[in-house]
Parts: sequence; C-alpha cells; structure tokens
Amino acid sequence: MTPLLEIKNLNVAFNTERGQIRPVRDVSMSIFPGQTLAVVGESGCGKSVTALSILRLIPQPPGKILGGQILFEGRDLVALREEEMQRVRGKEIAMIFQEPMTSLNPVYTIGDQIVEAVKLHQGVTSREAYQIAEQSLNDVGISDPHRRIHEYPHQMSGGMRQRVMIAMALSCRPKLLIADEPTTALDVTIQAQILELLRKLQRETGMAIMLITHDLGVVAENADAVAVMYASRVVETATVETLFDQPQHPYTEGLFRSVPKLNENAARLTTIPGSVPNPAKFPSGCKFHPRCARTRKLAASAPADQTTELKSGGEIIRVLTRCVNEEPELREIQPRQWAACHQIASYNSAKVTPPVVDHKREVTTEHSTEAMQLEAAKGQTA
Amino acid sequence: MRDERTVPRSWLARAMLDTVGKTSARLGLIWISVIAFCAVFAPFLANSYPILVKMNGHWSSPMAQHFTPTDVTLLVVTFAAIVLFVFLQRFRLFARLSAFAAIVVLTITLSLLFVHPPLTNVFEQYRDLAKSGDVQWALDAPIPYSPGDHLRDQFDPDRPHPWSPNSAHRMGTDQFGADISSHMIHACRVAMAVGFISTGIAMFIGIFIGGLMGYFVGLVDLLGMRLVEIFGAIPTLYLLLAFVSVFERNIYVIMAIIGATSWVGNARFVRAEFLKLRGQDFVQAAIASGLKLRSVMFRHVLPNALAPLLVSASFGIASAILAESVLSFLGLGLPVGEASWGALLNQAVGAGGAFQWWLGTYPGIAIFLTVFAYNLIGEALRDALDPKLRGAG
Amino acid sequence: MSAFEPVTKSPPATETIIDVRDLRTYFPIRKGIFSHTVGYVKAVDGVTFSVDRGKTLGLVGESGCGKTTVGRTILRLIPATSGEVLYRGKSFFGYHGEELRKLRRHMQIIFQDPMSSLNPRMTIGNIIGEPMQVHGIAKGRERDERVAQLLQRVGLDPSYALRYPHEFSGGQRQRIGIARALSLSPDFIVCDEPVSALDVSIQSQILNLLQDLQQEFQISYLFIAHNLAVVEHFSDEVAVMYLGRIVEKAASRELYSNPKHPYTMALLSAVPEPDPRPKHKRIVLQGEVPSPSNPPSGCPFHPRCPLTREAAKQASDTDTVVLAPKGSMATNGHPLPVLGNEKPDRVLRKCVEQMPPLEQKQGEPGHIAACWVTK
Ligand SMILES: Nc1ncnc2c1ncn2[C@@H]1O[C@H](COP(=O)(O)OP(=O)(O)OP(=O)(O)O)[C@@H](O)[C@H]1O
Ligand SMILES: Nc1ncnc2c1ncn2[C@@H]1O[C@H](COP(=O)(O)OP(=O)(O)O)[C@@H](O)[C@H]1O
Ligand code: SF4
Ligand code: SF4
Ligand SMILES: [Mg+2]
Ligand SMILES: [Mg+2]
Repeated sequence: MTPLLEIKNLNVAFNTERGQIRPVRDVSMSIFPGQTLAVVGESGCGKSVTALSILRLIPQPPGKILGGQILFEGRDLVALREEEMQRVRGKEIAMIFQEPMTSLNPVYTIGDQIVEAVKLHQGVTSREAYQIAEQSLNDVGISDPHRRIHEYPHQMSGGMRQRVMIAMALSCRPKLLIADEPTTALDVTIQAQILELLRKLQRETGMAIMLITHDLGVVAENADAVAVMYASRVVETATVETLFDQPQHPYTEGLFRSVPKLNENAARLTTIPGSVPNPAKFPSGCKFHPRCARTRKLAASAPADQTTELKSGGEIIRVLTRCVNEEPELREIQPRQWAACHQIASYNSAKVTPPVVDHKREVTTEHSTEAMQLEAAKGQTA
Repeated sequence: MRDERTVPRSWLARAMLDTVGKTSARLGLIWISVIAFCAVFAPFLANSYPILVKMNGHWSSPMAQHFTPTDVTLLVVTFAAIVLFVFLQRFRLFARLSAFAAIVVLTITLSLLFVHPPLTNVFEQYRDLAKSGDVQWALDAPIPYSPGDHLRDQFDPDRPHPWSPNSAHRMGTDQFGADISSHMIHACRVAMAVGFISTGIAMFIGIFIGGLMGYFVGLVDLLGMRLVEIFGAIPTLYLLLAFVSVFERNIYVIMAIIGATSWVGNARFVRAEFLKLRGQDFVQAAIASGLKLRSVMFRHVLPNALAPLLVSASFGIASAILAESVLSFLGLGLPVGEASWGALLNQAVGAGGAFQWWLGTYPGIAIFLTVFAYNLIGEALRDALDPKLRGAG
Repeated sequence: MSAFEPVTKSPPATETIIDVRDLRTYFPIRKGIFSHTVGYVKAVDGVTFSVDRGKTLGLVGESGCGKTTVGRTILRLIPATSGEVLYRGKSFFGYHGEELRKLRRHMQIIFQDPMSSLNPRMTIGNIIGEPMQVHGIAKGRERDERVAQLLQRVGLDPSYALRYPHEFSGGQRQRIGIARALSLSPDFIVCDEPVSALDVSIQSQILNLLQDLQQEFQISYLFIAHNLAVVEHFSDEVAVMYLGRIVEKAASRELYSNPKHPYTMALLSAVPEPDPRPKHKRIVLQGEVPSPSNPPSGCPFHPRCPLTREAAKQASDTDTVVLAPKGSMATNGHPLPVLGNEKPDRVLRKCVEQMPPLEQKQGEPGHIAACWVTK
C-alpha cells in the first residue's frame, strides 16, 4: 500500500532574537489511509511544528521550511502554491488543537463557524451547509444539534467545544485529521469520550489520524504506529505493539519506565535525569546523551579512551565519546521498527531507510457503557 | 542548565532594557534628555546676565548673583542625582533613594531660606556697562537674553515688536520684545514640571486609593469605587478654566488640579492589579507561610502592580503637558511673563489678527515633539511589560 | 504556641496531623448592581477526612469538583463556610492574627502552575529565605546557608539563590516551590497537582523527590491530582470527590482493586493504560460534570450513573423514574447524556430523591462510599 502522507527529511527553522533554532530536524514519518499515527514527545520537542508544517501553517517569519518533502497522495505540499494549499487545508487535511477554549471564535455561533468552512470547501448553498453542519454536530454526539447550532462557544463546556472542533474539522470529510493534543486540557472521563468518538469516526469514514500527545496511555489505546520525538528529531518509530514490547531507544525505554501505572507496586519510579533541552542550546552529538542511561552504563565498562567526562545537571558523568561526537540517524533496526541510537546491537549493520510503518493494530480498545454496567452489576447490585 | 552564565537580572530590569533597546523609545528618551538639560541649565544657556565678567579688575558672576531658589535647587538636585545613581551604584538602591529624597528636601528648604536674587531685574545693565567700556572681559550665555528681558535699551518706534527671526534673535521676539529662543529654553522647565509634578500627584493619589481598595476590599472598595466614579466624571479642563478664572493664576495650582483629577485611571488600575495578584499562587504561598498581609501586599503585590503603571505615567505626562499648553494658549495659564510654550502659542495670533509664524511654529514643534516622545516611551514600556509580547524565557 | 512545638524525636506511631470535619466552602453568586447574593456555588459541601503523620491522602476527581478549594480552605487561604480543621488535635480555625500567622508555618502548599507560583521580582534566595526570616528561624548568613542546603536537598545548585524565577524550567521551578514549602519544616503540605504541568520525564523526578522528603521529615501530604495512576502510586489512602463531596474513600490498594462507587469505577476505567493490549473492557461515562451551583437532586451522580440504570432494569416500576429524554433539559436543569441509545432513561427513584450516606462498605474497614446500590 502507498502511504497517504509521507514526510521526508523535513527541516524547519525559526529565526529568534537569540539566533536560529531548529525545532524540526530531518523528520521522516508516514501515515497510511485509515491508520492512526501517534506522535509522542515532551513539550518543545517539535510535535506541533511538524504538524503545522504539514498544513504550511507555521508563522513565516520567524519560521521557514528549510528543506524536505511532505508528500500527500504523491503531491509535495512543500512545493504547492498558496492557493493550492488553501484547497488542501480543511478539505483534505483538517486539524484540531489542544485548547478548545481559544480555537473557536467567541463572536460567532458554532453553526456559523462550521457553515463557513463547509461553504468554502464544498460549494453548497447556505441551507445545505446548515444541514451538513447539523449532521456533523450530530455525528460527534452533540444532542439537539438543531438548537445547539445557534449557541456561542462560551455557552459550552470544554468537552463540548472539543466536539464542535471535531465536527468542524470533519464536516468536509478530510482524508487526514491532525489532532494536536486534543484531550490534554480535558478531564479523563471527557478524554475517554473524545477518543472514543475519534475512533468511531475513523471506523466510519476511514480517515487517517495523526494523533499528537505526550500521554503514553492514549498512545497505547489509540495508535497503530508511533513516532517518538526528542529534541527536534524522530528517535524511534514502530508499530504500537513493537514499541511497547521492545523499545530500542533509551529515551523510549526511560519514558515507559518513568510513568506510574495503575496496579503496579513500584516503591519508586525510575526517572530520566536532567531536563528536556532547549532548542537554542542543544547538546552535541546524540541530543539525548546528557540524560541517557545506556551510554553511562556502557561507558562504565568501556576502555577509558572511548569515554568522555562531562558535567550534566550538577553532576559529573562518564559517557561514550561516540555519543558526544556523532549524532545517530534513524535506521531500520528490524522490520517495521526504526531507531536512532548507535548503541543498539544491530545498529551498525542496519540500513538508513525511510520509515514506513504499514500496520493496523489487532486489538482495539472498545469503550462501552454496557461493559461497566455488567461489571458493576456483577455481584454488587442489591 | 548547561554552563549558562547569564547575569541575573530582575524582571523589571529586563523590561527596562527592552524599552531602552527600542529605537523609537531611544529617540524619545533623547528628546526628553534635551528638554531636561535645557530645563536644568537654562540660566547657562539663555541669560541677559553674563556667566562671568571681569569689571574694574574684579571677577564676578552676575548670573549666579541672579540665581533664583529654583535655579539652585535644580542644579544641586541634578548633580546629586548623577552622583548617586551613576557613580555610587554599589550602594543599595533603597539607601540611595533615601539619600536623594533627603537632599531634595534639604536643598529646597535651604535655597528658599538663603537664596535671595535682587528683587528688580535690570536686564540691560550689563549691555550698558559693556557699551560704556566698564567691562574688561565677559563670558556671555550662548543666547544673551533672559526670557523676561524686553530689550528696553533697543527700543525702536519704527520697528515695533514682535520681530521676525533675524541674526541677533534667531527665533525672533514676542510682542513685548522678549527673545523667543530664550523663552523656549526656559519654558522647558514648565514643561518638565507640569508633566512630572502633576503625574506624580496623580500616581501618588491613585496608588494610595487604589491600593486601599485592593487591600481592604469590601466596604472600602465600594466607597473607593464611588469616589473614583465621581472624580472620573469631572472634566479636568473645565475645572481648570473655572478655577483660573476665579482665582489667581499659579503654575502649582494648575499642576495640583491636573494631578488631582487624573488619578482615577491609576486607582482603578492598581485596584484591579491588587485584586488579580491577590489570587496568584505566589501571593497565596506568601500568606500560607505566615507573612503579614501588609508585608505581602507591599513586598509582593505592589512591585508587581507598579511596573505597568509606568506606562500610564508616560501617557499621563504627555497629556498634562498638553493640558497646560491648552490653558496657556487660551491665555489662562501661567502668570504673564513666565515662560511657557503654550503662552507663546497664544501670542501667535497678533493684535491685528495677523499670524506670526515664528511665535506659533517653534513652540508648536516643541510641544508636539515632547508629547510624542512621552507617547513613544509609553508605547515601548507597554510592549516591554506585556507578557504576551515577550517570549517565555 | 507551646502546644505546637516541632516534634523532635521518635514521634508516636500514628499521630493525626490534620483532621478535617464536615468542611464546607460556599462561594456566593452575586448578581445585579447591588451585587446581592442569588445563590451559592457549593464548591466543598461537607468533607471529612484525616491525615496521619508521614502519610499521604490522595484526592482525585474531575475538574471543578472542589479539590483545590478543599486544600486552600484547610490552609485558610479561603474562608470556610462551616466545619472544623484540627491541627494536631487543636482547632486551627480558632486562631487569629499573630497566633494564626505563627501556626501557618506548620502547613504549607505546593502549587500546580510552576510559572505563577514564584514571584517574578524576587531572587530564588529571597523566595526561599523570606518565610524563615519572618518566622525568626534563620537570619543573615545562617539564612543563606539554610537556603543553600534546601536548594541542594531538592536537587538544585546552591548558586541559583541569586537568580530569578524566569531563568528556570518548569521542573526546576517546581523544585524551588518545594524548597520554599520545606523551609519552615512543616508537618503537613498540600500538594495541589504538583506534577500536572510538567513533562512526563520530569514528573517522576518530582514525585520521587516528594516521596524522599516525606520519609526524611515525616511530612504528611494532601496530594491532589486528576491522574489516578499517579495518585495510586503516591498515596496511602485515596478519597474520590464528586461535586464538592467525597463519594468514596479507602486505602489506596483497596480502592483500586475493589471500587464501590460507580464514579470511582468509571474514573479508574477511563485512565488509558500504557499497554496496547489492555486486559479490561473500558467504560465511557456519559455527559459532563454538572455545575456545582445547581447540583442534581438526590445522588448528585445520578444523571451520569450507569449503575442506577442497570439496577433500574430489575426493579419494579414504582421504584424507578424515567428521566427526561436526551437532548432536552433533565429535571436538574442540565443537559442529559449525549452518547448512547434512545431507550428511555430509567433510574432508581431513590437515587433521584435521596442523597446516599457515606457509609462503610464490604471490604477493608475504613472503605466508605456513598451509593444506594453497592454493598
Ligand atoms: N473564588 C471563587 N469564586 C466562585 N467560585 C469558585 C471560586 N473558586 C472556585 N470556585 C468554584 O468552585 C468549584 C470547585 O473549584 P476548585 O478549584 O476547587 O476545583 P478543582 O477540583 O481543584 O478543579 P481542577 O481540577 O480544575 O483544579 C468550581 O465550580 C469553581 O468554579
Ligand atoms: N512561532 C515560533 N517562534 C519561535 N519559536 C517557536 C515558534 N513556535 C514554536 N517554536 C519553538 O519550536 C520548538 C518546538 O515547538 P513545538 O513543536 O510547539 O513543541 P511541542 O512538541 O510541544 O508541540 C519549541 O522550542 C518552541 O519554542
Ligand atoms: S546514541 Fe548514545 S547517548 Fe544517544 S541514545 Fe544511544 S546510547 Fe544514548
Ligand atoms: S446512589 Fe444511585 S445514582 Fe448514586 S452512585 Fe449509587 S447507583 Fe449511582
Ligand atoms: Mg505542542
Ligand atoms: Mg484545582
């Protein structure tokens, strides 16, 4: 199968007062029709900039796409003219944002906002557009859409607004939906509703979803393929099962170990020392080396001429010199798993290939009220 | 935090640096510095009395003999400010501020007590002496005319004042024969004073009342807000006109009135800021660790609330200067004979209705530039203080 | 203040540090030009719990359910409407003025937002040192030494004392906030979502730090969070709040393995597991949290409760009522659940009419929940 979207060696720079920063460096990833690709990483690692670049929405200036390709159904979005791009935005690729509070215009009713988008892309009459808008509100589970369509954003709760955003994004039946932390600002119960809704809509329409998040639980539950970003780069990408079963990159490993899990009796959490580097002062070589447990461990038993001492977060650590000097590239470690770390056993023999993770998960998490009702009724009901 | 060797700078210091860094603000600051320089050193720049003379073998300074208490105070205070804030930076700011306040008070008192210029001014005295050859050597001010000098010795019935600009009077003279350039320089004092004193009064009252409202909330707040509404409804210019037409004209009364009617915005602002900051986590933390409410308000809340007030102060100064100019233009400003740009504008339309351009243009430009400069500074401060326009870090 | 001498050696095995009894905090809703009160937001409505020395009580619930208000009311940052807080057996609400000020050092708070919790105009040294100075714990050089020790203890370089907050990352600021809370050697700290605003890899660092400090200084925590996995990891006991009330409270492990309130079950089930092949089926709770200014009648959870709907299927018609159909306003004035089927919305009459008491359930002693249906 050919990917719906293929990002190849994307590079983005921002010119700031303190000089140029590179929030996205040589990022490659791909999404297939009907697939959910989760992009995971901590704040500032370049997730949003990558997403905005796909729609060519990064503010210019200060931003600039330095190079790379974004192939959407074979067309290179980077090379499109602005007018052509406008036809792609909203119609073929739609986006929803983290902040349901600020991403809707407070002075228009939600109906007006959806109708505007629908009319722009589908060339229908106002009346038809209203019908489509009502239908899409209904699709996202907003009850009484006929009345609700005339309400203003402030009359709705955060969860409702996020539904409206989704309705708006989906009103033109896009082939790809980019969801940038769609549930980060919401409560767990509302998060569960929204994610369930996205899964349902995906099943019905077959759209692809690029799900940006930092919550590994959300990834595990929703993703087919995962791309892990650290310091402006993709450091690992694989199918969701492979990634959780056999993470190869020390950052992925550390991330999995540092989150507390329900029903787990660890007395202490494992941590990744130090903090996320600021793009204005990235470390040399592998950007993860000041925090990396693997290089420290290997350095302890390596010959002294292959190691380097450095100061990190107030302590002196010893790491492999190669990690300090040489930045690893993303290589195909095994089928459908790519990682960027030279201290993976098969790294040296692995090839640099574009990461294409064609995979649909087998087990899907079904949320249902019935499930709980049965469980709750079991032996507990009076 | 890898080898970051940044100099620790306070938030306010960074905001200030940003402000000064802006070109427009820098131009504004340059202009205001020029005005301030003229205000302080006016007697050295434009004076009918020579700075130094040698007469009958004796050296003397007629300029210094004619210093008014204002002249002396301005000079001493400026000197003290430069020494304290430029050269003695290693001492604590608070100590330096206190020292400065003490010097100001002391100088004002002493100069009022001990500086007595001659009661009558005979401006042409030294020109006459020079003509008669009694002066062996003299150092004149660059503009050898005081603003009150009506050139009685040069009276010429064929050439009535005002004179248009000529080689002796580069900006011309006014209808009484006073030199405009001299007038312009001495008027800088009024411009500076009106701006600073009235805005100072407005800030003081505003912070005090706004602070009380934000601090006590409840009934005090309710009463305070009514007071704010009442004062907010008084049209300043109208009050000024009424006052000036009934009582005698006095620059200090004018400043007091401008100040006493324009504190309302400041009070509202300080109150809102207090109420907002009260709920901030760092204020809650201070209360939770058992700090006295008073100390929390004055050490944590007030400094955070004050910085944005600087913005409104710059705009306040600009509008105070405008207000004074308007009054003087209407002929209701300063007592006759005192130098003010607005008063010059007033004379621009002469007796016959003829427009004397030199009387309108120079003060007009000065007023415009000064007001504009303060507005530029205000804008830049506002941008610098607005967290939304600042990068996070 | 002799009653509150800091504990020196071998504290009694279980000493109750904080005892909260029937705490209520109502915020008046004001309207009109005369700002008369037209009603109350019952942000906290009858909350009772206690925390022993060196123990942690976790407090979970959805946004707006009153967690922050509970924490701040205990510390008297918000005035309580009624109720009682005992600090080591003495009524904390009975103190005023200077006495209250002195008592405050025993109870501190750590905030969620590392950006707004530090005064941008003060150096780190002053932020941490000021409380010590005010309470006469340390002055001058001694104070600076204590600040340096505290910074070191929370994992920061002592030289940071001269810097300003904006120079630090979120995680570092949170450490500074912790150092400030520690500076007065408190017995009790309210941690209001201390890791919610932090990066995933930083969260575990802060949680470990808090845990180490608890062991070292025998501090008691009220640990507020909405991430249930974090709370389970961190707490000895967990209380679940819904609309200003505690609906279930039990020892941490017991609550997670044997939840009794359907809201707790739903919350637990909503947490996405970091495992692509989950073992459990999930529940999606319908609807959203109603406004605390106008809580539903009877059991406040009934408009969203799946359990009462299940139980109603087996109950007789006289014991059940049908709620207004979806899309229109329910009896309580809130829009009804939006997902699900069009079947009549039948619930137990008791759930709509009477508030269930918070009572002991089957399971460990001390496992209490407020639900008519579960035993
Ligand atoms: N000062 C106030 N005035 C009026 N209402 C308030 C005030 N503070 C809080 N409330 C209301 O009280 C309720 C409980 O608020 P609280 O902040 O305690 O919630 P929370 O559980 O901490 O939520 P979150 O998870 O979002 O932090 C909310 O409905 C809130 O709107
Ligand atoms: N408009 C902008 N100007 C300058 N820097 C920016 C801009 N937008 C984002 N950045 C920087 O780019 C980096 C990556 O940002 P982003 O993609 O938003 O991170 P995240 O992974 O949290 O979504 C960050 O360091 C951010 O500060
Ligand atoms: S390349 Fe070295 S520093 Fe980078 S992740 Fe691998 S082991 Fe760690
Ligand atoms: S009392 Fe009724 S409505 Fe409330 S939780 Fe129990 S079953 Fe649900
Ligand atoms: Mg982002
Ligand atoms: Mg809260």
